Amino acid sequence: MMETLFYLAAVVALAATGLALTRANAAHALIYLIVSLLAVAVTFFLMGAPFAAALEIVIYAGAIMVLFVFVIMMLNVGEEGITREREWLSGRNWIVPGLLAALLLLELVIALRHAPTTTAGVDVTPKAVGLTLFGPYVLAVEIASMLLLSGLVGAYHLGRRFIVRRERRGGAS
Amino acid sequence: MNVNHFHALLPLLVLATGIVVLMLQIAWKRNIGLSAALAALTLALAALSCRFAVEVAPLQVTPLLQADRFALLFCTLFCLAGAATALLSRDYIVMRGDQPGEFFLLLLLATMGACVLAYAVHLASLLLGLELLSVSLYTLIAYPNKTVLPLEAAAKYLVLSGAASATALFGFALLYAATGTLEFATLGQKLGVTDTPQSMLLPAAAMIFTGLAFKLSLVPFHLWTADVYDGAPAPVTGFLASVAKGAVFVVLLRLFLDADLFRYRILVEVTGLLAILSMLGGNLLALLQTNIKRMLAYSSIAHLGYLMIIFMVCITSADKALAVEAAIYYLIAYTATTVAAFGLLTLISADQAERENIQLQQVSGLFWRQPLPACLMLVALLSLAGIPLTAGFIAKFYLVNAAVSGHNWVLLAALVVGSSIAIYYYLRVIYYMTRRPEEHPVVQETISGWRGRILSGVLIGSILLLGVAPQSLMHYLRAILH
Repeated sequence: MMETLFYLAAVVALAATGLALTRANAAHALIYLIVSLLAVAVTFFLMGAPFAAALEIVIYAGAIMVLFVFVIMMLNVGEEGITREREWLSGRNWIVPGLLAALLLLELVIALRHAPTTTAGVDVTPKAVGLTLFGPYVLAVEIASMLLLSGLVGAYHLGRRFIVRRERRGGAS
Repeated sequence: MNVNHFHALLPLLVLATGIVVLMLQIAWKRNIGLSAALAALTLALAALSCRFAVEVAPLQVTPLLQADRFALLFCTLFCLAGAATALLSRDYIVMRGDQPGEFFLLLLLATMGACVLAYAVHLASLLLGLELLSVSLYTLIAYPNKTVLPLEAAAKYLVLSGAASATALFGFALLYAATGTLEFATLGQKLGVTDTPQSMLLPAAAMIFTGLAFKLSLVPFHLWTADVYDGAPAPVTGFLASVAKGAVFVVLLRLFLDADLFRYRILVEVTGLLAILSMLGGNLLALLQTNIKRMLAYSSIAHLGYLMIIFMVCITSADKALAVEAAIYYLIAYTATTVAAFGLLTLISADQAERENIQLQQVSGLFWRQPLPACLMLVALLSLAGIPLTAGFIAKFYLVNAAVSGHNWVLLAALVVGSSIAIYYYLRVIYYMTRRPEEHPVVQETISGWRGRILSGVLIGSILLLGVAPQSLMHYLRAILH
């Protein structure tokens, strides 16, 4: 039973990722990407890692993807943008991602009713995750913090490139 | 963790402290001289601290890291190479990027990633080290923000390197699914047990090997190399060619040794095949180049090919320690030489704001204009070609010795053919450098300051020392491995 749900969610994840890759429109691709991330979260949940599933939704589908959608939407301002956004929302553009997401929700409800049976047989609780992270993997957390610092400094410097160019152009004119 | 564990991780702790101090310094007051000095000091201290960390080695610090003399030797090497890069970049980067302070911060982070790889005995620390190194390098490559070429190189590296990391990570996941462990040593035990599902191991091995071979830019995973090397700022290219590749090779070697992957003959034969392809492909492609940076990029592919033969030697030779010893010696010699070669390109391009002097034409007659830097290039090229009295000769001799002891005649033939092709294009650069002033268009470059001169002297000295008096290092390597 749980195996069937797991493979169903995996198929949804693959299909949504494939659709995300083949969309010509960035906004549509992002919607499919969100569905794909939700499907991955459901597979995590079914495997017995509810904490990883929650993080997947909160961080990837929640924070990062919504940020992407926001930026893309913000690029469409003005009269022209409104008509374009209306086009995006018409008909089949949201029905397929909506159906896929509804399927995932259905799976989640079924899984919750059958809890706590998971495919792995054990549940990895948040407490277990915390104990592992700050026990044997404490150095991994430290190295990961350095990795984030590196990404942050890099993003700051590369982002500046465009600000500097605009300032220079502004100064010249 | 107790005091001994901290003691064993001293180099990493010094680097991390240096990173935080440098970050605060940049936030407090931007001063390029101070930033460069802090970075060089941190790297020198970290190299020095390896000397003290040896006292408690070997010691396993959490399942992730293993502090032994092997790891600490490479930590020292990477930190010294990083310090040389920091000193070289000081004048170079001021001309090319505004706000050059973060360059040194990223350099420290990248070196730390390399050191983590030297320590790694766990797939998680392997991945974290690899990513720390690569993510820092993306920005280091794109750092000069007055031209477009570095950005293009960084974008190529970002996409391809990200795909390679993801492939390796997928491989790790399959390996974990098959064996239930991520530690190298336990992995070795689990792989020996017969009830391990074999069907997942082949795709896992293929994916991990593809990912790491990409980072080592072995043929046929080498397509990114020339473009990225060409676009990246010269000191960063030197770092990328020496430290980034060396660190990945070290961790690959440790994975093979600790998990005893030599028992999979087919896997080792694949490394042998890639070695032959890289030796021949790299050298033949290098022949066609008139851009010195691209030539060195292809020659670095060939050099990694020479190094890869030791995996094959390990299973055919009775003396596995000799093969590993040869690899370590080769890696040390290669690092010193590569830093020296790219050091010259940095020195002669330092006063240009946009372009670099990297065409063969531009080094024409360099001996008559700039004797000391030209000597640096001469020694580096002779060492890369494997001419006696230089580090490269002893290193290549070591490899040939190991290959002969293992009766690997095919690999040996590829090594000899590759090396003889290589002599042609290395000597061509030297030929250009010795041309008389009347034969070449006048190019003016100014080589600024004492920093470049001292560093040139030190690098020439260390390459010659490794080539003339290698005994003490050889004894040390033997003591580590036996």
